[in-house]
Amino acid sequence: MGKFHAGPELTPEEISLWMDGELDAEHSARACDGCREAAPMATWEHYHQIGDYLRGCDAIAPGFRERFAARLSAEPTVLAPSRLRPAPTAVAWALAASIAAVGVVGWVALTTMSVPPAAVTTAQQAAVVRPAEVRRPVVNEYLLAHQEYSPTTAIQGVRPYLRAVAADTPDAPE
Amino acid sequence: MRRSNRVAAAAPGRVAQRTCAALGVAALLWLSNAAADDAADWLKQAATAARQLTYSGTLLYQHDGRVETSHVIHMIDSHGEHEKLFNLDGPAREVIRNNEEVRCYYPDAKIIRVEPRTYRNAFPSLLPQQLDTLTEYYNFRKAETARIAGFETQAFVFEPKDGMRYGHKLWADLGSGLLLKAQLLNEHNVPIEQFVFTDIQIGIKIERDTVRPTYRPPPADWETRMSLPGDVVQQDTGWLVKDLPPGFSKIVEGYRTLRGKVGPVAHLVFSDGLVAVSVFVEPMPQAPQPIGSSQQGGINVYSRQMDEHLVTVLGETPGATVRQIADSVAHR
Repeated sequence: MGKFHAGPELTPEEISLWMDGELDAEHSARACDGCREAAPMATWEHYHQIGDYLRGCDAIAPGFRERFAARLSAEPTVLAPSRLRPAPTAVAWALAASIAAVGVVGWVALTTMSVPPAAVTTAQQAAVVRPAEVRRPVVNEYLLAHQEYSPTTAIQGVRPYLRAVAADTPDAPE
Repeated sequence: MRRSNRVAAAAPGRVAQRTCAALGVAALLWLSNAAADDAADWLKQAATAARQLTYSGTLLYQHDGRVETSHVIHMIDSHGEHEKLFNLDGPAREVIRNNEEVRCYYPDAKIIRVEPRTYRNAFPSLLPQQLDTLTEYYNFRKAETARIAGFETQAFVFEPKDGMRYGHKLWADLGSGLLLKAQLLNEHNVPIEQFVFTDIQIGIKIERDTVRPTYRPPPADWETRMSLPGDVVQQDTGWLVKDLPPGFSKIVEGYRTLRGKVGPVAHLVFSDGLVAVSVFVEPMPQAPQPIGSSQQGGINVYSRQMDEHLVTVLGETPGATVRQIADSVAHR
């Protein structure tokens, strides 16, 4: 086992909390270490598949995790934004990142909103490996229809239409 | 000619909108200097500025850990309002608005979606009566002043009084009233979505050509997908929401045609004055549909099957709100 406290095997609850970013640094480290085992890893992947399905995303290609880990280890600079957050959390998430790209996204989500836009852009550009584009063709069709009536459109002009077209793939199968 | 009830109902809204438009830029400057502490005043001012001013700037859209950079150009001339929005990274996307018509360009897919907008004239989504009751559901306060994209702004906050809506923090340019930054905040006061200008020029001269589509005329092999005439005919669909969260009221009900749908889809829109929730009801499609909840930035979506129908609810509200609405959709 790794250098962190090993203890009993990870529970599904811990994995769930970890995915939601609700574990502190110490427990995140333990969770990260625990996921080196096959069973917790399978739970982790399973939970993400459920989430992806609910969000209408395409399934991640088999072997994605291994390929991602290999590319990540070849690109250490991907962790540059860690100075935007206190070190322990960043380290925890950095470890999580070696397991799944989704972790990186969640973490960036937490940090991007509270830092200046310029820093945000830099952090994004540093994230060399980006997860697969989310495709929700049907929902986007609804969103376009919705946007017209939203008061947010009245007070911001067409800006909120970005929600509907930003990550849209109009020819995706329906 | 006889006026239908629908037209008669629309008239006060139209009058209000015209009055609003007539205020013009000069009035905006005056308004912004006046003590516009009132929530409705701030919003009306922002809406008028967004429609009446000429501006061009770089916009960041942040959500779900992503940052997307776009450029926005807005102008008015003798033909009305023209707006162009295009992204600067990722697959090219372009949104062109000419008065009420919105066109979305997808160059990689060679598709143009055209959405004729006829509702907005008759039913401005900022309804005066709703603006008046906003503070029943939100605590409104002025927050700090801040410098954004080189402009001095006043921040103001709408803090929800219940868990049925998100918080809103908006930053308005003190000179023009235009919103330069807008955040949606979750129950922990954490931003979940943000639009912010990193640079913007306001009140500059903009040539009409700069807001025309980049792809004009579109190449012959591009497909133009028009919404069908009659899409936006208002009518009673027979569907209702039994357990509507407080503060929301119906602003639109009718049928529309959505791409990828076999028949017309019932579309009902409810608003609390600051955000809207859309309810879509359609015959259950043959193909498997995603059921359950999903989220993109400030938009929550919930879909469920109800007998032979698919109910999809989405809006700029917490997931619990769209779910409550979806679960209480019923046929009259």
